[in-house]
Amino acid sequence: MDFDLKRLGFTLLGLLIVLNWGMLMSAIMRKVGARVARRYGIPWYQPWIDLVKNYALRSQITHGIMFYLGPVFRISGGVGLFLFMPMIIGSELWMNYSFQGDLVLLMYFQFFGMLGMALGAGEGGHPNSAIGISRGLSQFTVIEVPMTLAIISLAIQYDTLSLVDIVKAQQGGFQNWTVWTNPVATIAGMLALLGALSHSPFNLVKAPNEIPIGPPTEYHGAFLGVLRTNAAILHVVEAALFMNLFFGGATNWFEFILKTFLIYFWSVFVGVVFPRFRIEQSVAWFLKIPLVFGILAIILYM
Amino acid sequence: MISPIHIITIGLGGAFALGFVSKKAKALTTSLMLVAIALMGTISGSWLFELLSGGTETMVYTAGFKPPYSINLLMGLNEALLTTMINFVGLLGGIYLFGNLKKAGSHAVMVFLVFIMGLNVIVMTRDAFNLFVFMEVVSIATAGLILLTETGKSVQAGFKYMMATGIVAGIFLLGVIFAYYFSGSLNIDDLAAANITAIKGGAVAVMMILVALVLELKPFPANGWALDVYEASDPGVAALISAASATAFYYVLFKVISIGNADWYNIIAIAGMITFVGSNLFGVKQDKARRLLGYSSVGQLGLLMAILGLKPYLGDKLEFIAITILVSHYLAKAGLFWLAGIIEQENIKDWAILRRKPIFLVLFGTFVFALIGFPPFPSFYGKWELILALSSAGQYYAIAFILIGSFLEGIYLFRWLGYAIKLDYTKLPEIKIEWNKVIPVAIFGVLIYVIGAYTGTQMSGLDSLCYGPLLMIPFLYAIDSLKVPIKNTIAILGVATFAARVLPGLYETDMLRFIFTFIFLVGGILTLIAGYAYKGKREGFYPVALLMFVGLALIIRASNTLEFFYGWEIMTAGSYFLIIRGKKSMPHGLSYMLFSIAGAYALLAGFGLSFAETPSIEISSLSAITSNITIIFSLLAIGFMTKTASLGLHIWLPGAHAEAESDVSPMVSAILLKAGVFGLMILMIAMGHSPEATNIGYVLGWLGAITALVGNLAAAFQEDAKRLLAYSSISQLGYILFALAMMSHLGWMTAMVYSINHFLYKAILFLTIGAVVMRVGTHYMYKMGGLIKNMPMAFVAVMIGIIALSGVPPLSGFAGKWLFYNAVLDVQWYFQGAIVFFSGIIAFLYLFKLIYSVFLGQLKDNLRHVKDISIWFAIPIYTLILGIMIFSAKPEWVLQPLGDMVSQWYPNSALSWDGGLATGPYGYWNGTGVMITVGIMFMALLGWLLLVSRKAVKVKQFNIVYSAEAPQRPETTHVSYNMFAGYNKALGWLVAPKITEFWDTMTDWVHSVAHYGRQLYSGNGQVYVTYVVAYILAIYFTMIF
Amino acid sequence: MEYVALTVGFIVIMAGLWAIMTRKNIIRIIIGFSIFDTGLHIVMVALAYVKGRTAPILDNTVALDDAVNLIVDPVPQALVLTAIVIGLGVTALMLIFAMKLHREKKTLDIRSFKDLKW
Repeated sequence: MDFDLKRLGFTLLGLLIVLNWGMLMSAIMRKVGARVARRYGIPWYQPWIDLVKNYALRSQITHGIMFYLGPVFRISGGVGLFLFMPMIIGSELWMNYSFQGDLVLLMYFQFFGMLGMALGAGEGGHPNSAIGISRGLSQFTVIEVPMTLAIISLAIQYDTLSLVDIVKAQQGGFQNWTVWTNPVATIAGMLALLGALSHSPFNLVKAPNEIPIGPPTEYHGAFLGVLRTNAAILHVVEAALFMNLFFGGATNWFEFILKTFLIYFWSVFVGVVFPRFRIEQSVAWFLKIPLVFGILAIILYM
Repeated sequence: MISPIHIITIGLGGAFALGFVSKKAKALTTSLMLVAIALMGTISGSWLFELLSGGTETMVYTAGFKPPYSINLLMGLNEALLTTMINFVGLLGGIYLFGNLKKAGSHAVMVFLVFIMGLNVIVMTRDAFNLFVFMEVVSIATAGLILLTETGKSVQAGFKYMMATGIVAGIFLLGVIFAYYFSGSLNIDDLAAANITAIKGGAVAVMMILVALVLELKPFPANGWALDVYEASDPGVAALISAASATAFYYVLFKVISIGNADWYNIIAIAGMITFVGSNLFGVKQDKARRLLGYSSVGQLGLLMAILGLKPYLGDKLEFIAITILVSHYLAKAGLFWLAGIIEQENIKDWAILRRKPIFLVLFGTFVFALIGFPPFPSFYGKWELILALSSAGQYYAIAFILIGSFLEGIYLFRWLGYAIKLDYTKLPEIKIEWNKVIPVAIFGVLIYVIGAYTGTQMSGLDSLCYGPLLMIPFLYAIDSLKVPIKNTIAILGVATFAARVLPGLYETDMLRFIFTFIFLVGGILTLIAGYAYKGKREGFYPVALLMFVGLALIIRASNTLEFFYGWEIMTAGSYFLIIRGKKSMPHGLSYMLFSIAGAYALLAGFGLSFAETPSIEISSLSAITSNITIIFSLLAIGFMTKTASLGLHIWLPGAHAEAESDVSPMVSAILLKAGVFGLMILMIAMGHSPEATNIGYVLGWLGAITALVGNLAAAFQEDAKRLLAYSSISQLGYILFALAMMSHLGWMTAMVYSINHFLYKAILFLTIGAVVMRVGTHYMYKMGGLIKNMPMAFVAVMIGIIALSGVPPLSGFAGKWLFYNAVLDVQWYFQGAIVFFSGIIAFLYLFKLIYSVFLGQLKDNLRHVKDISIWFAIPIYTLILGIMIFSAKPEWVLQPLGDMVSQWYPNSALSWDGGLATGPYGYWNGTGVMITVGIMFMALLGWLLLVSRKAVKVKQFNIVYSAEAPQRPETTHVSYNMFAGYNKALGWLVAPKITEFWDTMTDWVHSVAHYGRQLYSGNGQVYVTYVVAYILAIYFTMIF
Repeated sequence: MEYVALTVGFIVIMAGLWAIMTRKNIIRIIIGFSIFDTGLHIVMVALAYVKGRTAPILDNTVALDDAVNLIVDPVPQALVLTAIVIGLGVTALMLIFAMKLHREKKTLDIRSFKDLKW
């Protein structure tokens, strides 16, 4: 593999854009949530303040090596997903390192951060962490069922597992987007997205007021800063994945921002309407309607 | 040559002469009797030698006339063999009973001599009336011997015996006299030549003769009296009845059956099979040792009867089959009865006493395995030839009956063996060693191996190398009293030498066999290294461990189905003993064995049917089969799937793997299960290309997918760490089955990658968890926690293991996942694929639970000072980790040769390589690139965190954010028990133990049928007579219609 | 006429069997065996009988050179002698068993001796 400095530069720039866009977007969403609940909400720049504060905190504690490595795994997972995801179609340099692996790689790389974080939080020894993780893993298994079926449906449709090729196939007008050509798979995927972004009613991992923020309970200061950084990146990248799969990808940054915003907004919209599930309800829910759509999506293309 | 008539003169004359010896010289009397039997044995033995080396058989005419005016005796090869056997067991039995005979005095000694002499005559005579006379002589002598040790029970048994044989003898006599009336001769050969079955009355005469002879062989259900005799008489006598009498009476039927017509073969075959199945079924419920041996004896006689009845289908194999099975029965049953007499324990649970003298346990195990028909015993070859011959003749019902009967016999014999191996013996008394009793057992124990080896040399197709490596086993047994390090080194050297000899050659010629040999043997060496962690002697471990590895090696190098089956059974035996070594493994060892036997019989039937098709036993000839593919393929696949523990056949695995010793679990999980995979691959390579096989493959694919799902789900709900890993193995083997069943290039690539990976990470995980269990003393995860601080080495190993297992990039597990996706899309198994993918994610649940509950969370007070795992476990673990790392960094080093290999059978359609970049039909993946990218990124981000958190201080265990008070008790703070309660609530119904319930219900049925059925044997002698009469009438009416 | 002996023989056999299968007293059962054996002997002799011939004893009524045509078949008669001897042995042994059984339980009822079953 040739070391390509230019590509690295573009990738890092892209990461910076995604990070800041992610923070802004999360601020907007919290604002929306507050307004729906008839509160005023945070200022739009609050996430930056939090980040700076976290990194600057003077007293910091650690529970051990794995605890220390947890956030590193977590952010590696987020950044890695970004690296293996094509961002802007049509620009070779904004494709990041997507030439190293296809959709399967992306799907499995999601676990990298999750697993590492789970181990790190586990060493923290706080019961809420373990409870949060066990919920998260439980829910994640079933989220992936409609998601997988949707992806298989797309793979049949486009005859490829390469995300780049799937996006390229959708170019040339919005009538070519998957959402039109394969609406059933899109529904399955978008229902799965609700779980993947962990907003209410599927926010039982961090579950405010219940197991106060769950896995990261013991994390603070720079550790929390790293986790917040990752959260911002991850939200955008996840939305970008769905954008690439179902909504024709993006040919420029404006399109990218608009589409990721709308995709993200979908989960917020649902979230402010519905209250939180219990874990067994959540698990059962994904194995009902989303599963049916997933199966239909495949049957239609078989 | 000495005339065989002198066997009689010595016997009779000796018996008379003994009367003149002083009544007080009891030891002398008994010794003289033994000399007489030895002389008789010498005569028959010399005839055997003579006839084997090409001599001609001889007919002795008494009184100087030819038949029908005189009695004539034949000494042919069969007669020589059988009389030798009878006299030999008579001699040893006499030595065994020396004390009893001496005590009982000269009359008993005479009776004994007459008994043996009578059996000799029964074998040799060609005269029907003479037969009657000596049958009565033997009968009276037997009744006398039953009284040798006089207890209330033995008297009762003796009387019932006299009643039953009295009726039988009467019927026989009636038949003989009518036969004489119709044919004018008493000579058996004349009777056969006269063909009197054609005459109306003659048919009845033949019926009476033959039914009486069948009744002498104790057919089910008219055999209650025989069971009583076996149970109540002195074990030494029972041994003679079972070994000597049965041999003689079987031969009588063997020679007299020629007077009947073809129908008789069917009747005898059916009577035999009913007996074999029925008495073994009732034996299942029996817990009295000698009565159980009685059931087994009766069952074996039934099998022999069935073989005789199946003569028209067995052709020239008849004598080989009958003799091998007869000899096995003769040696094993006499040995077992003698053992029963030595240890004097009535209840089979008390046979744990055998462990006071381990050599007795070895003998007991030998006889049990010989009865079931394991290699290297003669009955193995007998059963093999029997099934092959029956298949060729299309006798499928007979095959089914025989295999079912054998399986039922396996149930009680292996339960018994399990009791002997596992139950507590400390409360039982010492064994009284009397050398005159031990020596006969020992001689028979050795003989059964010698004859087995000899039989093996008579088999065509069995390479002599097949038992060469087996010599390692007795050697290791001989040095069993040495310490572990010495034996372990020898064992490792043995395996390594073998590996070094075969591996390089295989690498050049046969990649498939190279890979599996590598897994079996290198895996064996690595897991054996862990054995250095054990102290003391570890008695009995090394012979059986090597037995398993030898079996595995034999499977690989088998070129025909006989060799394959031979290795398969050796491997099963070795692994059984390994598994049952675990502290609580008794029931699991049994269920493993029963599934293995059933699987082995499925294989046997499958090989038999394939032989009938081709007819060749070469493995390569499987591909030439053109009809019956569905049934053959299914039988063989089911056989192999008992080892891969596919859903439905999996219930033995969790217990067996979880309760095994720390270094045995990886042997039987990471290594042994691959034997089933190898078998399936061999099968599919040969037969997978037919449309029928493709259909079955579709079913197998679904089965594999569901196995994967249920296995993983069940693993997520375990509290026992080793049980969790065991369920994980079930699921992983489900993946492999799924991938194999695709029967495509990518599918097989996936299967191979999974096989290799499963070997690597399951060995790592089982070794590590096993080592942890050795330190903390419990399997239960909720009793552990926070061990990362004490056991960093173990933690790192488990972490790498679970990352690889879960398939998270960049480790090697991802290679399997990536191939899997391409393969699934390629063959369009979308839904099955989705299920497998789903189950793959469920794996995260149990993997997290495993590592979290054991190593993370809260450290328990009682475990604060445990040390890290033993270095002897760490060495193999980290060697395997190195393997994973190499595979992960350079997947193409493994995948490219695999691709070339699989292309032999499934041409490569789309997978191509460009350096490290793999391009499949649907996607692409650069393993090395991903590894580098992730590595650089990870290090960069770690550097960033180190920079921003450089001031972090380490805090103590309970220094966590907790409302109001610090949690001082780790037990209440450690989240582990029922960790996925919500998930269980939602999906737990999927793993409700329905299959276990199914098998439990089946077991209950068998037990209930046995329980109610055996009440047929009410104990009333008169009722038994009624059964005998009813049996005669039943056969009579069968003849009429 | 020649079948009378044969028929009687069979009736005696059946009577013996009936006694063996239905009588509860062990002595009676043994007597049943004796009857059964006797029936067998009658049948044997009856089968050997050839109408109009005499006993196979070579004395002055049977000419030596024509003996084959004058006497009945001698073989079954010889067999009967053997069978009677054997029957005697069997009966004696059974009586010994009966004695020992009685000594054990002070009864001769066959139904009392069911310690061994199943």
